[in-house]
Amino acid sequence: MWESIIFWVCGGLMLLSGIMMVLSRNAVVAACWLIFCFLNAAGIFAILSAPFLAVLQVLVYAGAIMVLFLFVIMMLQAPVLEAEQRRRSLWLGPAMLLPVLATLVVLIGWLRGPLNLLPAQPLPDDFGTAQAVASLLLNEYLLAFELISIVLLVAIIGAIALGKVERKLPWR
Amino acid sequence: MAITLTHYLALAGALFLTGMLGFIIRRNALIMLMSVELMLSATNVVFAAFSRHWGNGAGHVFVLMNFAVAAAEAAIGLAILVEIYRRRRSVNVDELKVLME
Amino acid sequence: METQVSESLLRWIVLLPLVGATINGLLNQRLPRQLAGLLACATVGVSFALTVNVFLRLLGLPATERLLTDSLATWIGFGRLSVDIGFAMDPLAAVMTLVVTGVSFLIHIYSLGYMGHDSGFQRFFAYLNLFVFFMLTLVLGENLLLLFVGWEGVGLCSYLLIGFWFGEEANAVAGKKAFIVNRVGDLGFLIGIVLLGVTLLPHLSAGEGLFSFRTLFAHRELLAPVATALGLLFFWGATGKSAQIPLYIWLPDAMAGPTPVSALIHAATMVTAGVYMVARLNFLYIMSPTAMLVVAIVGGATALLAATIALAQNDIKKVLAYSTVSQLGYMMLACGVGAFAAGIFHLMTHAFFKALLFLGSGSVIHAMSNEQDMRVMGGLARKLPVTFWTFLAGTLAIAGIFPLAGFFSKDEILWFAFSQGSSWLWVLGYLAAGLTAFYMMRLVVLTFHGTNRASEDVRKHIHESPVSMTLPLVVLAVLSIGGGWIGWPQFMGGSNHFEHWLEPVFHHEASGHAEVVTGAHGAAAHLATLPSNHATTGMTHSADVPAAAHHDVTVEWVLMFASLGIALLGLGLGYLVYARRSDLAEKWRNLAGGGIYRVLANKYYVDEAYEASFIKPGYALSKRVLWAWVDKGLIDGLLVNGSALVVAILGAFLRVFQNGLVRFYAYTFACGAAVFAIYLTLSR
Repeated sequence: MWESIIFWVCGGLMLLSGIMMVLSRNAVVAACWLIFCFLNAAGIFAILSAPFLAVLQVLVYAGAIMVLFLFVIMMLQAPVLEAEQRRRSLWLGPAMLLPVLATLVVLIGWLRGPLNLLPAQPLPDDFGTAQAVASLLLNEYLLAFELISIVLLVAIIGAIALGKVERKLPWR
Repeated sequence: MAITLTHYLALAGALFLTGMLGFIIRRNALIMLMSVELMLSATNVVFAAFSRHWGNGAGHVFVLMNFAVAAAEAAIGLAILVEIYRRRRSVNVDELKVLME
Repeated sequence: METQVSESLLRWIVLLPLVGATINGLLNQRLPRQLAGLLACATVGVSFALTVNVFLRLLGLPATERLLTDSLATWIGFGRLSVDIGFAMDPLAAVMTLVVTGVSFLIHIYSLGYMGHDSGFQRFFAYLNLFVFFMLTLVLGENLLLLFVGWEGVGLCSYLLIGFWFGEEANAVAGKKAFIVNRVGDLGFLIGIVLLGVTLLPHLSAGEGLFSFRTLFAHRELLAPVATALGLLFFWGATGKSAQIPLYIWLPDAMAGPTPVSALIHAATMVTAGVYMVARLNFLYIMSPTAMLVVAIVGGATALLAATIALAQNDIKKVLAYSTVSQLGYMMLACGVGAFAAGIFHLMTHAFFKALLFLGSGSVIHAMSNEQDMRVMGGLARKLPVTFWTFLAGTLAIAGIFPLAGFFSKDEILWFAFSQGSSWLWVLGYLAAGLTAFYMMRLVVLTFHGTNRASEDVRKHIHESPVSMTLPLVVLAVLSIGGGWIGWPQFMGGSNHFEHWLEPVFHHEASGHAEVVTGAHGAAAHLATLPSNHATTGMTHSADVPAAAHHDVTVEWVLMFASLGIALLGLGLGYLVYARRSDLAEKWRNLAGGGIYRVLANKYYVDEAYEASFIKPGYALSKRVLWAWVDKGLIDGLLVNGSALVVAILGAFLRVFQNGLVRFYAYTFACGAAVFAIYLTLSR
């Protein structure tokens, strides 16, 4: 029962905030909507028996990434960065094709019959806990773990390199 | 009514579509980046849903990877954006068409 | 299957002249004249010596096994289609090779003197050597394709040598004419080759060379259904190369080249290639009486036609050129009635006396400071004794006076034309013989008799030619006199060595004289009796000979005297009209208001007719249709510019997609992904 309620509430709000984010003129407002969206996502994760992910979603996504976004927005003084000047986006029309296509996909899929998936399996006891994820991460998916850390390292270096202010160097 | 896997997939699909539409419609680079984040979120939901369906923890691991990649991508994207803004004083991506044929 | 005995000298016979040509050709002016000339003559001379050597070896083999081969490499090896590069000498090839190398050698020596002061000395000898190489490839090639390679090669060299003094446009035009007319003939040859290949290929087993003459002979029954077509197609090629009607027009024009060239190429060797080819494919022609009839008629008609034109020519070389066309007609006539050995016999004797006549005329031209018009010659007998006497020998030979070479060969042809062909064919040859004697005597009289009609300057310079030029003349004169004795016919007491020698190739009964078969049935009768010959390739029916031999010896004697008679008549008349009674000459010229003479002098206006019916329309077609529509319109416009236009349009279209807008790219990604998703769903 709870699952049902939380699903509809969190899911609906998530969708709604997503749409609002896309439609808002103001970048800061958009960022806020997105934060709200992520919070609801955490809710969804929660009912999906993924408590660890729910917490991480809030900490990393909402807490770190969106903060970064807000930093940059503030730095660029872009709250009203609206170069659009009330002019309709050129791609609105064509872009509407996409929902149509998506509906098409869904319709065809629905008409062709149910998904032929492997049946649901019972969940192990510690499913979704930090221990479970951690043990997977450090045993079977160790390589992925290491690689992702390298990705982050590269990202850091890249961000620093890109963000540097140009200094007048003697030989320039 | 019971919430089946299909519900979650539908939700994720809608979110993904929203993010994609946002990316295509908006000219503001920041909003575009945020739309990308939304799309990534949608995929996270899918992975988590399937993970629970089959009781396989690998889905969670992947979501973790996804977080990391999203973070990295946001960082670099924003760094580039800042650099562009410094040079052009605008974040309108339509003006960035030097590679036009 | 004959045993194949290998003889590795064969390749050197063919390749040595090529070496000479390459060296002379590449070094050209850097090679001093003496050396160049020596090299060129040496290569051909050694080739001749080797030929004699191999010939002697061939002689030592039993008659049924006279075949020496030398295989160099595989040219085409494609499934069952296999063609080798190899040479083969059988009795026929031996005769041809001896003639080619021998006469070439003499002419090379002659050219040392004749071309001594020419600026293109080394180039001349390079071309001449190259020609010998190709001719030998033609003659010694063991398959039809190699023959064709040689065929084309000699055509090329003919072009190069006719237009040797290309500074004069007329010479270059003559060279082009020769090559193009030959090409028209080659079309027939090529179609014939393809037809032959297509007919034969399905029936071959692995390892059998498709166009090898041995293979063609072994499978000849398979070719029987297409024998007529093949015979006619190959003969079409022969009319081009051997200057028969209708493609003889290039030969008189070819006299624009230096005289040694005319002697070698347009008398002794290249033009005989067509005759050789027909003789080589005799087993094919025998299967088609129609083709043989065509060959015989065309040959006979050519013989007569050319003889009539020669009556009215004033250029000494033109007379000899038409004479050559006429004599080639005789050879074709012989082949057409099945007397292949007689045709080759005449080929050989003709090589001797025609080369002699041409070289002699060269000597005259040289003495007369390059004057070729007989009307300003005369009285040269005293000043050029060696030239005169050798020339006279050649004239008597060509007229067919006993016991010179031409007598035996021409007589044999006329006999076979009568006995195996029809009386009409004999009449053609008979009349031509008379005319031949007449115009040759005319030539001799106008050139050597009486008083010289040239200017004072020219008269001062008249002198006998150097030894390098007169020696070959003497040698050829000896050959013209005695060269026919190896073909001394049986009815006159000889044993006709020549015909026996060529028997294995032509599969005749021991003595062709034994048979009396008339008309076109002659060939069919031959065919009927052939199967019994197959087992023993050649020497058969020797038992028949004595019994049948008595038959028509009478007719042979009668015909012989008849031809001797008309020859003497011709010579006599010629002397009378031109030496004694020049008023008769005048009357002859003004016959029918000068009309007859004019027609003959203008060669029946054949060239003009061709110009009007083929050349002008062809030119108009090319200019108005092929150039304007096809070349400019289709190729330039549609294909070249058109494809550029298509690319431009495509580019213009695609340019829209390269607009540099990130959002557009994202949009296309999304659409693509959607389509892919649809596909996935549909295929599930």
